[in-house]
Amino acid sequence: MTYVIESASLSKRYGDVLAVDDLSFNIEAGTITGFLGPNGAGKSTTLRMLLGLAKPTLGHATIFGKPYGELDEPALRVGAVLEATDFHPGRSGRDHLRMLSRAVGLPDQRADDVLELVELQEAARRRVKGYSLGMRQRLGLASALLGDPDLLVLDEPANGLDPEGVRWLRDFLRDFASRGRTVLISSHVLAEIAQTVDRVLIINHGRLITESTLEELTARVGGVVRVQSTKPDQLALALHREGIATSRPNDHTLLAQGTTRERVGDIALAEGIAIHELLTEGSSLEEVFLDLTSEVVAP
Amino acid sequence: MKQLRAELLKIRSTRTTTGLLVGLIALALLFTILTCTLSPISQLLTEREQANVLSFGSVAGVFAALAGIMLFTSEYRFGTIRPTSLFNADRNRLFTAKFIAGMLSGLIFGVIGEGIVLSVGVGIFKLRGVGLVMSGANVTELIVGAVIGTALWGAIGVGIGAVVPNQVGAVISLLAWGFVVENLVFGFLPTIGRFLPVHAADAMMGSIQDKQLPGDVGVLVVVAWALTLAVVGLALLRRRDVT
Ligand SMILES: Nc1ncnc2c1ncn2[C@@H]1O[C@H](COP(=O)(O)OP(=O)(O)OP(=O)(O)O)[C@@H](O)[C@H]1O
Ligand SMILES: [Mg+2]
Repeated sequence: MTYVIESASLSKRYGDVLAVDDLSFNIEAGTITGFLGPNGAGKSTTLRMLLGLAKPTLGHATIFGKPYGELDEPALRVGAVLEATDFHPGRSGRDHLRMLSRAVGLPDQRADDVLELVELQEAARRRVKGYSLGMRQRLGLASALLGDPDLLVLDEPANGLDPEGVRWLRDFLRDFASRGRTVLISSHVLAEIAQTVDRVLIINHGRLITESTLEELTARVGGVVRVQSTKPDQLALALHREGIATSRPNDHTLLAQGTTRERVGDIALAEGIAIHELLTEGSSLEEVFLDLTSEVVAP
Repeated sequence: MKQLRAELLKIRSTRTTTGLLVGLIALALLFTILTCTLSPISQLLTEREQANVLSFGSVAGVFAALAGIMLFTSEYRFGTIRPTSLFNADRNRLFTAKFIAGMLSGLIFGVIGEGIVLSVGVGIFKLRGVGLVMSGANVTELIVGAVIGTALWGAIGVGIGAVVPNQVGAVISLLAWGFVVENLVFGFLPTIGRFLPVHAADAMMGSIQDKQLPGDVGVLVVVAWALTLAVVGLALLRRRDVT
């Protein structure tokens, strides 16, 4: 199995600070992975090393099997945005995109195409100085899309977006990945990307803390699934058989401990039990995240 | 070369270079009109005196170097170095493209600067009844020297910007060097000072002052400066993380 991204013992030291510490992970094609960690966890540093902008102190990283810089015209395979503000204020959004597309031999038309994709046509010929943060985020995304890449790497792309913008981005990334393409997206707020990603990598102090699907994450830290059913007793028995503990706050409601909605739903279906409500409660994802990242990491 | 096309578009798509060009035109006009009209005719008669006034177009070198400096420093200042580095993962090609772009924009600065000084200067001479005593060969050397010298200053600017990515730092370095350090060294130790880039570039325009290098040596010296800065700048560019 070859991975889209492979990071092997990646480490980066800045003076006394070990910004990234022996970080190994792999990312499969067709997935949307959330790269999570609190401020200063080392997310941006890791992404910079993946993209050949910073040299690792130790370890190495490959994209499509090669270091970024050794790919043949990497911008045609990987689209990346590291900061939402990387524009010359006096240059128009369109010229920004044209200068990048020229560098990789793409026609100017490509700039107009991606501007349309991110719905920025109207502002295209205005200087970036006059763009809102949301517009800059879109322009950055447009630059990442210029090369029609198979992998998108985005550092905190939801920063500064309003709820509608966040939803637009989510739909956009979902659509992008639905065609077998891959997304790696960082954030320091789990909630911001929880509905977008399939998997999460959580780091803190430069180290990998957790690598899992969102559902596994919820389950592992004791997520509680509330389920309403007409046959709670029968369902409780079935769940017990699968090793899932339950409690019974009232006649129609069961609380299943440390599992996922998918699992409860599947078990109920196998038993032929109708379900009227199925939701995750107890520790919210954000609590899980805070819990994981506030753990004291041994030196 | 596609990277070069990208760099030329960068130069054209902001007002920075246009601003520098306007500054050059204004300064060249101002200087030429003032010196040529106000100097007593008795001081405009020899070949050396005329060459001295008409070589002022080489001031374009300062503007070309500033424009060259911007090619790297403005990328660091505004963060476009990140997308630029992602789209030009080969730092050698990126540097080469900027080096050539700096030289080309310098060439244009040189043509405009020397063109203004020469045409306006000779025009005013005529109005005042002063004939041009410079030989055709010397005028050619003056023009070619000023234009090539300015183009090389554009390249030197790119090198300075790669060595000192901080824009203010790079601009101050250039101005301190050109207007203070070199003049001090040339003043006290002309045998060394004439090998420094500003004086070597002046020598390219023919005999305008004492103790200068022969013109052909001047070209080689300026090229050597541009290449040395390029080698150091490229090495630093390759080593430096883009953060
Ligand atoms: N260029 C640098 N020089 C020195 N220290 C740095 C540099 N870049 C990052 N660091 C340090 O490395 C650590 C990780 O920083 P990084 O920017 O990668 O974190 P992050 O997870 O992206 O945080 P945020 O959510 O705030 O963006 C921090 O302690 C930071 O201070
Ligand atoms: Mg960051």
